[in-house]
Amino acid sequence: MVDALLRSVFEPGLFSSGPVHTAAIIGGIAAVVSGVVGTFTVMRGQSFAGHALSDVSAAGGSASFLLGISPLLGFVGMAGIAAGGMEMIGVQRARGRDLATGIVLGAGLGLAALLLYFDATFTSTTGAAITVLFGSMFAISSSTIPLVVAFSLVALGMILVVYRPLILSSVSTELAQVRGVRVRLTESIHLLTLALAVALSAMTIGAILSTALLIGPGAAALRVAHRPAWAIFSAALIGLGTTWGGILLAYDSYYWSSDHRGWPVSFFVVSLIFIAYLVSGRVGARSTHRAPKPLAIEEISSSPTQSTRS
Amino acid sequence: MSLKPMITVVASLLGAASLLSACSTPASPATTKTSSAIQAVGAENEYANVISQIGGRYVQVSAIESNPNTDPHTFEASPSVAREIEAAKLVVQNGLGYDTWASKIEAASPNPERKVIDVQHLLGLPDSTPNPHLWYKPTTMPAVAKAIASDLSQLEPAHAKYFQANDHAFDVSLDPWYQAIARFKAAFPSTPVAVTEPVGDYMLQASGCKILTPFSLQAAIMNGTDPSPQDVTIENNLFRDHSVKVFVYNQQVTDSLTASFLALAKQEKIPVVGVYETMPTPGYTYQSWMLAEVNALYKAVSANQSTTRL
Repeated sequence: MVDALLRSVFEPGLFSSGPVHTAAIIGGIAAVVSGVVGTFTVMRGQSFAGHALSDVSAAGGSASFLLGISPLLGFVGMAGIAAGGMEMIGVQRARGRDLATGIVLGAGLGLAALLLYFDATFTSTTGAAITVLFGSMFAISSSTIPLVVAFSLVALGMILVVYRPLILSSVSTELAQVRGVRVRLTESIHLLTLALAVALSAMTIGAILSTALLIGPGAAALRVAHRPAWAIFSAALIGLGTTWGGILLAYDSYYWSSDHRGWPVSFFVVSLIFIAYLVSGRVGARSTHRAPKPLAIEEISSSPTQSTRS
Repeated sequence: MSLKPMITVVASLLGAASLLSACSTPASPATTKTSSAIQAVGAENEYANVISQIGGRYVQVSAIESNPNTDPHTFEASPSVAREIEAAKLVVQNGLGYDTWASKIEAASPNPERKVIDVQHLLGLPDSTPNPHLWYKPTTMPAVAKAIASDLSQLEPAHAKYFQANDHAFDVSLDPWYQAIARFKAAFPSTPVAVTEPVGDYMLQASGCKILTPFSLQAAIMNGTDPSPQDVTIENNLFRDHSVKVFVYNQQVTDSLTASFLALAKQEKIPVVGVYETMPTPGYTYQSWMLAEVNALYKAVSANQSTTRL
């Protein structure tokens, strides 16, 4: 009985399928990085900047088809340039931040439209538009894995280095400045990790949808976890779970219709993230009754020289 | 997303779209204009080629889609294309959603004198026909040529005899192609083949080939949508297990996935035959192109020889 149920969930060939392996590895890594970085992004209220970066990275992904390089290099390159551009026109300032972000986003998407047109016109890469914008996890070449691992190590390494000052400045910039945190530098490093995270997710579920993987797990985790470290861990776990769940459902969807037209994996991933967010609201609401404490800042703002609680 | 950036995004997308439609490459007319000739348009250059074979010196033909580096499935019409169709007395288009832009332009500039041959309707095919590449079907062009001859005769009754004679000559000239198909079918009955996209499927079926690639994968590649991992695995195994004798590769609809299939086929020493959406130019007529494809197929199976490009 359990065996039959398991077999209907894990359809035959799932674990021996090459495309599934590659998708699970690359998708899993991208989800973990996005979950970790995204938790900071949500805490800092920079979801829109994250969305803009991923949309702009679409231009890089489109260019990679023209240049014949790995799409990941295109995504990372363009997201990096956009992060630099946003930094220059002052995306960190709260005032006018949305406007600066929106302008960069608009220009980037316009460039993506032009490059996708060139892709279709000069290199006959039909799938470019859907692959770049909505992802094609099962069509990723396994040769991309080392590159994905390298970029994710860089992103997670940077987060580790600025972990404490970043949390502090995410909770309160003033408090961080008082404590002598180099806020501007910390913020710039966050923006850079953000660019890497969205580029990695753009590879898997597409440039347009990568926001979901960036902010969804982070937002859900912050509703249930009250300590930053827990929230980051939960976000990584939610990202990983929704991505692997999405891959599983997409694999199973092949058997749902007789013509074997499976549904796109990106749809399932994003839907699962949405469900996770809704569920986290219920769980979070229940646990708040017992512990009516938002984020436990005293944990981070405490330093050895100070007493933890007055 | 707040309202302002949203408007920015939409506005810049609209701006990019209108720019693109204005500067997309116009199709150049095949011959110079003469005032007395009948203006005719072939939506794809294989149809234009047949129009010029039937109409001869009394017709001035232009082909809209003739760039071998373009994927016709993603073609967008430009204002100059619209002008050519508006001015045409005879238009031959494929139908089945392959060149919807042509019908739109015709509807936008009604002309009671203009004759439109929609090949799908000419052959009485329903809209649900999955494979739109009708010109690879051996029975298609004789019917199209006949319809062209009859329409031209109505437009210029004085030259009716000339058009009918050309139609007859065209039918006769298809014989070498038919013989090549019959020869292949007799020599290599039920040859198993793998394809990327359904472009040459009608010709392969007429040649008695068994197409082992799942149609759902062909459709995903043709439409540029997410392929299912099961289908990718099936296709990879066709090469690894040497279950196919030939790999028929569409040169005009490519992406990283088709490139990986091509690499695998080469690695497994399975001969490749390149096929095209539009007639390769210069140097080919419709008949010689079709004949070359069947000959390439014959060479692949008989001598294990690849013909990647015609």
